[in-house]
Amino acid sequence: MGDEIVKPGTRLLRIAPLFFNERFLASVVRPTIADLQSEVAAAGSNRMRRVRARWRGYSAFWMLILVAPFASWSDDQPNGALGGVAVGLAVVTFLTVVTLGAWTAVVPAAGTAVALLIHAWYERHPSDVAMPPGAPWRSPQINFSSTDIAGNIGGLIFVVGSVVIVSVALPLVFWFLLAGAIAACFVAWGLVAWHTRARGRDWTCAGRPPRQLL
Amino acid sequence: MLPKKERLILELLVGEGPMYGLQLVERSDGALKRGTVYVTLGRMESKGLVESEQETPAPGAIGLPRRIYRPTLLGERTLRAWMAFTRELAWGTKS
Repeated sequence: MGDEIVKPGTRLLRIAPLFFNERFLASVVRPTIADLQSEVAAAGSNRMRRVRARWRGYSAFWMLILVAPFASWSDDQPNGALGGVAVGLAVVTFLTVVTLGAWTAVVPAAGTAVALLIHAWYERHPSDVAMPPGAPWRSPQINFSSTDIAGNIGGLIFVVGSVVIVSVALPLVFWFLLAGAIAACFVAWGLVAWHTRARGRDWTCAGRPPRQLL
Repeated sequence: MLPKKERLILELLVGEGPMYGLQLVERSDGALKRGTVYVTLGRMESKGLVESEQETPAPGAIGLPRRIYRPTLLGERTLRAWMAFTRELAWGTKS
């Protein structure tokens, strides 16, 4: 019984690493959950006070989930651009659902799920492609919402996720996308072979003019 | 420029001493919210305006230890400078 009093928030602590990086966990999420636990413990055996403490603590945690994408660590002002994009996205989604039907809500839901998956994956496997800031060639990665998508599992999640999202919205193009994805695999295979041979001559690629990269 | 919430947190910490995040929320009369106070504190910590440490857990406590926040010297000086600036500004507007 006493164990139950100080344990709320345990599940939240398990799911929080899916959304946040270690810095945010240490400075924001854990203190929020510590407040929840201490407040519930302070409520003692008073059932009403415990319920109220839990409600306030859980509300604070889910509020964090909502505001975290817009939390700015470096600026004094709230991140207005991100907020604007979020509001714009919400309005477009609402209008789409109203005009085209409720099923279209699946598309933003799938997009959100893929974005969360990519961010979660890169929190655990940061991109290790070292690119000097003054490199004369472009980074081969896709910059997707400030996340570098490299040629790894993160890239695979990006491609499969994109195909799934477009297929949900436009089922007619599914076979075209599938054929395109298979063709892209062959092109990628050719590129890898070409880069492997080039690396044999100049493995640093330092002397390669930018136009020869592709 | 010292944002309103950061100024309020500094005023509370300088005036009343080190506090937990929840105490700051309670003393702010609704100006600080539970869901966002640690975001603001985290930002202030990265600016060097406040510092924090984990509380020493009481014997037998099982929950996570809370963080206690106090102003840094830079935070205190920033608050004093900001208050002096706003006083000067108010005086300049009146005269």
